[in-house]
Amino acid sequence: MKGGGRHARRKGMSAGRRTAALLVAAGLAAAGAGAVGLVLTRHPDAPQAALLQALPVPTGPIEAAPPSGAAQVAEPASLVIPSIGVSTSLVHLGLTSGGALQVPPTTAVAGWYAGSPRPGAIGSAVIAGHIDSVSGPGVFFRLSQLQHGDRVYVRRADGTLAVFAVTHVQSYAKDAFPTTAVYGAVPDPELRLITCGGTFDYATRSYLSNTVVYAKEIS
Amino acid sequence: MRFTRFVRRIVLLAALPLLLLAVPAVSAATASAATGTGWVRLAHLSPNTPAVDVYLYSFGDSSAQIVLHHVAYGTVSPYEQVPAGDYTVAMRAAGAAATSAPVLSASVDVAPGSAYTVAGLGPESGLRLQVLDDQLTTPSGEALVRVIQASLKQSAVSVNWGGQVLDGSLKFGSVSSYQTVSAGTATLTVSGGGEQATASVPLAAGTVHTLVVLDGAKGLQIDDLLDAAGSGTDPAGGAATGFGGMAPRGPSSPLPWLAAIGAGLLLAAAGGLRVRARRVPAPAAGGKHRVPAARS
Repeated sequence: MKGGGRHARRKGMSAGRRTAALLVAAGLAAAGAGAVGLVLTRHPDAPQAALLQALPVPTGPIEAAPPSGAAQVAEPASLVIPSIGVSTSLVHLGLTSGGALQVPPTTAVAGWYAGSPRPGAIGSAVIAGHIDSVSGPGVFFRLSQLQHGDRVYVRRADGTLAVFAVTHVQSYAKDAFPTTAVYGAVPDPELRLITCGGTFDYATRSYLSNTVVYAKEIS
Repeated sequence: MRFTRFVRRIVLLAALPLLLLAVPAVSAATASAATGTGWVRLAHLSPNTPAVDVYLYSFGDSSAQIVLHHVAYGTVSPYEQVPAGDYTVAMRAAGAAATSAPVLSASVDVAPGSAYTVAGLGPESGLRLQVLDDQLTTPSGEALVRVIQASLKQSAVSVNWGGQVLDGSLKFGSVSSYQTVSAGTATLTVSGGGEQATASVPLAAGTVHTLVVLDGAKGLQIDDLLDAAGSGTDPAGGAATGFGGMAPRGPSSPLPWLAAIGAGLLLAAAGGLRVRARRVPAPAAGGKHRVPAARS
């Protein structure tokens, strides 16, 4: 009985200490997991604006649309948008078997829908590009940052240049896409630049909206 | 203090509806600014009227928005995009002062997304300015065509497109209605009074054309104007141009993670406090045992 009480006290203290130690460990683990989760689920870093290299404004013989005859204008070959760092060749796009717009085969190039008027001819020319790949930004990542008046340059296969100015930027839900506004006939040379935007639906692995930039030829 | 708090609450409550009112005003303005434009072009289609200067004014303005000089018979200007609203078109003799009284004038009400041709039609003695509503939408995969008869020599012509009669008797100075035609290249035939003109005209799907019958140097002449063009076949829906690499991963709200961090820190703190509490010995029990019991 001499050391009984002390022994008993020591036992009590160890059990209590163990519980306390467990609490501290569990608490730190939870906080740590929370911190890791917070970091991982933040929006991935977009390429810094400072890294955006200033693209030179394209030069060349500028040819406005001829008074009539879409066939007189050469096909588009490349696209440059200096204000958002876009410089890409243009592939030809058709329609899928389901009648939807084909998309470029890589996320690094944009494509011109060959069933639409040629850029610089009378009508609404359609150019589409990816906003991102599975791991990083695509050619049209910054498309939604275009402002009214920003210049868009299309170099044609014959070396001539068509210059456009952005008129407005719209976002549409894909299940309420305004076909007429985007693809419908217009009486002057115009452009529609299309990419994805809005919320990304992980269940279907696709964005729920499209960003459409409207531009009209200015020279 | 109470009164100040009360006043603050009332002010906030009053501010809310004002904020709500402001939001639709802003979005409405943006929408109309973005899409509130239409198109206008000007045409001189009176064979025996000399060249004219054509002015387009925003209604009420004294300085013209567009001026075309020395517009001769047969000229159709390209479309100009203008803000929607009321306009006045005035025709003056070529070279006449801008302040002189116009020979003719007409008003045009430009609706957003709509296109108009303001044409001088008829003989010089009966010259008039007519505002034509131009159609821009085409049935998918087909083309739209209309004809303006501006030949004075033929009082009426018959217009035939690849075997399809577009108009059996189109009088001088009049405009046919739009007809839907299959896309492709076909022969257009215009005949009247023993004269005939033919042209091989390609009409692409998704396009709108105005064919103008004129008195050319060699007789009847046909001008093919491409009014508007869109996609030959409209794609179905939007574009699947994204793979999600730059989309936020997992729940976008940081709240669940912050709650986990907070709870975890509280747990750790609770555990730490318990450790500290345990270090202080219980005074009554310790004191008793310190006095050794007398035993033999």
